[in-house]
Amino acid sequence: MKAFIEYLVQAVVDLPEEVRVDEEPGEIATTYRVHVAPSDLGKAIGKQGRIANAMRVLAKASAMKHKRRVYLEVVGAPAEVNAD
Amino acid sequence: MSAVSHDVDFSAYASPLEAVVAELDQILQVAELDLEPVARVWNEPHLEIELVGPDAAGTFGRSGKYLDALQYVANLVVVRRVGPGVRIIVDACGYREQRAATLTELALEFAAQVKERQEECELDPLPPHERRLVHQAISDDPGIRTYSEGEEPDRRLIIAPR
Repeated sequence: MKAFIEYLVQAVVDLPEEVRVDEEPGEIATTYRVHVAPSDLGKAIGKQGRIANAMRVLAKASAMKHKRRVYLEVVGAPAEVNAD
Repeated sequence: MSAVSHDVDFSAYASPLEAVVAELDQILQVAELDLEPVARVWNEPHLEIELVGPDAAGTFGRSGKYLDALQYVANLVVVRRVGPGVRIIVDACGYREQRAATLTELALEFAAQVKERQEECELDPLPPHERRLVHQAISDDPGIRTYSEGEEPDRRLIIAPR
């Protein structure tokens, strides 16, 4: 599933090397957080959220077989961790 | 790639139809869906692809939601990676044909009601290709006219008396 989301997002953005998908397994649902370059946010989400929604629908179709739930979030660039 | 036989002669067109099918196959594989794309009809620029496999009947052949999502995403990827000139139409278990029959039937029913009551009738949101089907089914009826309102994906077709 992670590979699928990565593949799809990389295919629609301008900076595929900036795409990172975090997988957060939960008890009944797995959450996927999609990080893209700030300039690619609109491309990854799509007009009216169409791309993000289509990805959700397909992720659901695939997850249903494994009786899993998935949540998908598109977030901006990964937050910088300041270690000072 | 798969060993299935396609109904479309890939060599008959200069654009890389085979690459389009391979791209869709790749999407289905990474999505962990048990579906295989089989090219059925090439009607430029539309390439009709049937999804065959265990997930066809259960999920994709039952609701247009999954087919439309896959079709939307696949076209985005294909335009990006293979180039424009080919639009994919995906189907499973004859869903599109059945849906077209249902929509045509509904369209005729609504048109009859609109004429009888002389009142507009607003349909639920439909994707563009389905709105076109409804429109086409009743466009030659002189007693009514159709138009659409709203923004995708909430755009609705309205049937109005003329």
